[in-house]
Amino acid sequence: MRRRFYIIALHAHGKILPETYELISFVRDIGGEEKTGIILGSKPGIVMMARELAQKTGMDIICATSKYLENYNAQGYKDALKGLIDCTDPCYICIPHTATGFDFGPLLGAALNIPCISAIEDVHDGVLIRSMFGGRIHARIKPPGPCAILTVQPGAWEGSAACSGPAGPVRIVHSDISPGKTIIHKLKVPASKDVGFADAEVIISAGRGIGSEQNLALIKRLAAMFQRSAIGATRAACDLGWLGYDHQIGVTGRTVSPRLYMACGISGAVQHISGMRNSRLIVAINTDPHAAIFRVASYCIVEDIKTFIPLVLEEYSRMSGISF
Amino acid sequence: MGMNILVCVKQVPDSADTIELCEGSSRIIYKEGTVFRMNRYDEFALEEALLIKECFPGTIVDAVSVGPDRVSLSIRKALETGADQGIHLRVESDQYLTPFARASLIAGFARAGSYDLIMAGIMAEDDMECQVGQILAEMLCLPCATSVIFQEMSKDEKTVYVEREIEGGVHECITLPMPALLTIQSGINTPRYPSLSNVLRARSQKIEMIESQMAAALIMDRTVIGLGYPRQPSAGEYLEGTPAAKASALLKILHEAAIL
Ligand SMILES: Cc1cc2nc3c(=O)[nH]c(=O)nc-3n(C[C@H](O)[C@H](O)[C@H](O)COP(=O)(O)OP(=O)(O)OC[C@H]3O[C@@H](n4cnc5c(N)ncnc54)[C@H](O)[C@@H]3O)c2cc1C
Ligand SMILES: Nc1ncnc2c1ncn2[C@@H]1O[C@H](COP(=O)(O)O)[C@@H](O)[C@H]1O
Repeated sequence: MRRRFYIIALHAHGKILPETYELISFVRDIGGEEKTGIILGSKPGIVMMARELAQKTGMDIICATSKYLENYNAQGYKDALKGLIDCTDPCYICIPHTATGFDFGPLLGAALNIPCISAIEDVHDGVLIRSMFGGRIHARIKPPGPCAILTVQPGAWEGSAACSGPAGPVRIVHSDISPGKTIIHKLKVPASKDVGFADAEVIISAGRGIGSEQNLALIKRLAAMFQRSAIGATRAACDLGWLGYDHQIGVTGRTVSPRLYMACGISGAVQHISGMRNSRLIVAINTDPHAAIFRVASYCIVEDIKTFIPLVLEEYSRMSGISF
Repeated sequence: MGMNILVCVKQVPDSADTIELCEGSSRIIYKEGTVFRMNRYDEFALEEALLIKECFPGTIVDAVSVGPDRVSLSIRKALETGADQGIHLRVESDQYLTPFARASLIAGFARAGSYDLIMAGIMAEDDMECQVGQILAEMLCLPCATSVIFQEMSKDEKTVYVEREIEGGVHECITLPMPALLTIQSGINTPRYPSLSNVLRARSQKIEMIESQMAAALIMDRTVIGLGYPRQPSAGEYLEGTPAAKASALLKILHEAAIL
């Protein structure tokens, strides 16, 4: 029996999120043929989105509606999906590994009593690949049983192009779920300060590997070599209080694509890389030759930033006659 | 009044430099001298629990960890930081346990303990699965919020308001009825250092040891078929030579790219 792939569409503010289309490329790479899309929400908006999904993908779409699905809530998603998906036949349930996806994915796995393999970033010969230790190590995974939840790392696959064939059928079903236990309030967008990313041609970023707040001076001097530069940071560097969160780059920070991105003492966790991978030129300085950041870098420098950056500054002063 | 809070703490190796991979196997070997420490996200979870304890007198904070003998050190660290009691759900060897297996063991314990609030980290830094808290919540039928970056307990201890950090810096704001489970995102607070008095108290304190009877089915539930270093797919160039040679090579590259 062929395995069915359920693609759980995520949406926000009336739009289907691009990660949904990335799931389709993932399923293609794993060789899945039987696909069903599921989209959850409240009428009437959700029906429009379901039609759009059917149009763009050609997939069969189940559109599950309930007034308790008007806003995303983990319990509603879990209960509605549990009611729709029958695990007696082989199936993989594919969900984007976003803050929404990893919120309800493992819950659904536990509710259906099937394993959840999270944050998948590659597929080789049908084997799933996911990162451990900040991307330094890859695990090869085969789900143990016929059914599993698979959460897929955003950005790991290109979104699939719209299909040229006919729109798939949309089946609208009412989900008979009870109101969630949680009260949902309005979204909040915390105020943020401009740290000059928009105008910057060059971003010099600091990670935990710079070692201490004092060494930030090196990063600042390096940045001062360039005319339009800004200072970026990893979440770890911000957590340590070395830089404000407005400097944070990554999934929960800013996305940037400067002409030059220099990663100093940054391991290259996927959550960071997703915010800077489209930079034109990436230079990484790290003492660990296996650091994951080197896999996205154009130029890899295995050195200690404490000794290497002073050498760069010195050499540049010699060349230009200006001291930094 | 006061609450009973359980904090889940995982022990992880301090750095990936001291781990070795066994070709063709799914086991990680920790080299001699590997330093282990508490998962950083769990430090934030523990701190948040201690902050609640300070606001709600009578609150008890327990720390639980699943793992082999070595993890008792991280439980001790939790006691030194201010937790009241430590529980070690001991498993025999250093084998990989699936999130489901780890959550089952914690659920088996927590069921008996009746906690008002369970806190976990959003993710373990070694396996990076982001799952144990959510599975645990489902097993214990608790409402759950992940990626929590702010929480405020109601005065009557009946509900907790939380802000979850989602993509693009947006916060999703919800109120959960208690008892509940929260997985904590980094940056929610600044974890404290152990105080001398707590270090002294912790020294003589016993950690409750529970031998875990792992169901055979859970041990068989192995999904990892191999570990390895990623292939090097990028066309990235490693600069070679002395540090000074690398520095001038870098400047030349930036100059040629018309950035400098
Ligand atoms: C839901 C979620 C969202 C997240 N969002 C983000 C995000 O938006 N942005 C983000 O950055 N992270 C994010 N993270 C965290 C992310 O997973 C990593 O923990 C973080 O990016 C690691 O930061 P780092 O590279 O500075 O630190 P580490 O991973 O600790 O790496 C430090 C690096 O420095 C190197 N080093 C050490 N000493 C030196 C030296 N002297 N010279 C040179 N190199 C040295 C080490 O070899 C190591 O590679 C998120 C995590 C989660 C769970
Ligand atoms: N072995 C363990 N013992 C105690 N808590 C754990 C263990 N593994 C995971 N956790 C908790 O679950 C969180 C998420 O872990 P994970 O799902 O493995 O990424 C961690 O931050 C811990 O709070």
